[in-house]
Amino acid sequence: MKKKILAMTAAAAVAASAGASDKIVIDGSTTVGPIAKAFAEYYMAANPDVNITVSESGSGNGAKAMMNANCEIAIMSRPMKQTEFKAAAEKGIQPVAHVVALDGLPLLVHPSNPVQDLTVEQVRKIYLGEISNWKEVGGPDKAIVTISRDTNSGTYETFAKLIMNKEKIGGKCEYVGSNGAIRQRVQSTPAAIGYAGLGFVDKTVKALKINGIYPSTETVQTGEYPVARPLFMYTDGYPRLGSPLYQFVTIHLTEDGQEMVEEIGFVPVTAY
Amino acid sequence: MLEAFEAETAELKAALEAQEDEKKKLAKALKKQARALKREGGSEEEIARLETEEDRLKDEAKILKEQARSLDETRDEPYEALVDAVKELFGPMPGQKKPVLIRQQYGQTRWDRTLVKLHEVMFEEEWDYSNPDAMGVLIEKPRIEKFRGTELEPFFQYLEEHIDDMMRPKTTFYWQFITDTSKDSHIFGGIWPEVLGTIYLTLGAMIFAIPMGVIAAIYLCEYAQEGRMVSFLRICISTLAGVPSIVFGLFGLAFFLNTIHISDSKSVLAGSLTLSLLILPTIIRSSEEAILAVPRAYKEAALGLGAGRWHTVMTVILPAALPGILTGVVISMGRAAGETAPIIFTAAVSVGAPLKIWETLNQPTPALPWNIYNLCTEHEAVDEIRHVQYGMVFTLVAIVLLLNLVAIMMRARISKKLRG
Repeated sequence: MKKKILAMTAAAAVAASAGASDKIVIDGSTTVGPIAKAFAEYYMAANPDVNITVSESGSGNGAKAMMNANCEIAIMSRPMKQTEFKAAAEKGIQPVAHVVALDGLPLLVHPSNPVQDLTVEQVRKIYLGEISNWKEVGGPDKAIVTISRDTNSGTYETFAKLIMNKEKIGGKCEYVGSNGAIRQRVQSTPAAIGYAGLGFVDKTVKALKINGIYPSTETVQTGEYPVARPLFMYTDGYPRLGSPLYQFVTIHLTEDGQEMVEEIGFVPVTAY
Repeated sequence: MLEAFEAETAELKAALEAQEDEKKKLAKALKKQARALKREGGSEEEIARLETEEDRLKDEAKILKEQARSLDETRDEPYEALVDAVKELFGPMPGQKKPVLIRQQYGQTRWDRTLVKLHEVMFEEEWDYSNPDAMGVLIEKPRIEKFRGTELEPFFQYLEEHIDDMMRPKTTFYWQFITDTSKDSHIFGGIWPEVLGTIYLTLGAMIFAIPMGVIAAIYLCEYAQEGRMVSFLRICISTLAGVPSIVFGLFGLAFFLNTIHISDSKSVLAGSLTLSLLILPTIIRSSEEAILAVPRAYKEAALGLGAGRWHTVMTVILPAALPGILTGVVISMGRAAGETAPIIFTAAVSVGAPLKIWETLNQPTPALPWNIYNLCTEHEAVDEIRHVQYGMVFTLVAIVLLLNLVAIMMRARISKKLRG
């Protein structure tokens, strides 16, 4: 009888652990979202018994979900902050970073805008509110509408660090919740300027040259483009070799993974 | 025209290369001179002058080389742009390597996008920024101009005339849209995980909210002594009805997930519980009204016949109040199916497989209301997938209507039985 119970508990434990490895919950950055979604469907097509879910609520929320052990992978478009590491460590979670791709941060304007080229300094002044008319940077006489990501986003953090020099965005800036929303606002507002991930540039918006460098795969890869950053997937500890989690966070190293990263519009970290 | 253009560029290139060679020769001669001077011990000034001159010539040669190279590029540009545009319309050419992303494996699958892409093949877009005081003006140049006199010239007319035949059928009705899972984050396939998620969440919310709500209503009407405590409870219930739904979402995250760890990630269970709290006031209120509307004579008759209070409630009052209770259920079910904010932090994700019933305990799910929002704001290919978004909206409206219809029919049947 005892043996039977033991066997049953063992079987239940195995079933539970199998059940636990059957799902991967991903939460975080809207910039890394498209990569995670493509990887998820690619992986699920090959392994139908693994359920991967992706939600895109911003890098900050991804980090919070990781801290609270609400997700297996936090996707982030910025490195984890010291405070977040600390909070996670206190709860017994050790975030390990996997760099899945590189990304530039193109400044987007409406295609009808004649301005082609800005310097980092000019962009900073625009977002500080010191330059408020396109006339001052060689465009027509039109008030600039600045659009920024919300402060919970990793894209915002990168922008604040690389362009704003940690100074506060000033003036009448409009904050929106996702990369797609930035593009939509720029599409519909001829005098707007905004910033988003490389993967969100298409024919409906125009990416500006910054310091004379156009944001492209090459200029991001060589480091010439001044506003570039790595994109991360964080896991709790390094995943067990061969586990679905391990396979998932190494997809970007495979040839297919690189092709996906590139086709979505980001820059692969490796080039075979 | 293209041939003429080609001949012209070839000529230009040859000229540039000749110039480059000449400069290189001159630079070499200067170098020789400088070396000779050094050997003979000539003035240093003269040597430095020769060397700077040499460097200048070398730089000039480099620029010429660059120009010749860019000429090559501009010659191929119109053709490559055309190839890209055609690829977007029809997909990769036969024999090419199959791309990994499904969205790149085919051409356009919808007639309205076909027309957009066809326009891109036929016309080149250029922005005219010549007036510095105004925004640029869009100029559409027929692409055919660049290919006049080449073999490609008839291609444009052929394309325009035969696009209907090449892209058949123009419109289709695709039933499996509802029962298929999505491919390549909604660019192809259907919305089954979302539909199933919405049904789970709604039914889950009902499973928790109906018993809680009806029991609370019975307590408030039949058992509670009117007093301070009960009026306080009533105020609480009315307040709960007025709380913004996003607050429920945050509460669900903070309480169900982070405090009592009902599941180790977002889950249908957590979402259902949050939704059930949201609709609880509606159910309590309508049940109360329904119970109070039962004629007092029913109750008195039952009690007079010797039935206990519990027995009276279960066998007399509740059946008589059922149509009224169902009205509350109908209203709240539609609300639960369509609410977005409470499930953002507790249950909804943008990509996921359809869940089995036991997986709802610990796994999150896509759900129609959230994914409709997600597709139009956070998807990188939002213009390509408008139809999916419209399809989801239609399905959500249909589901809510269907749920309501079922409940209304049930209510009608029950009240008919009661009357009869």
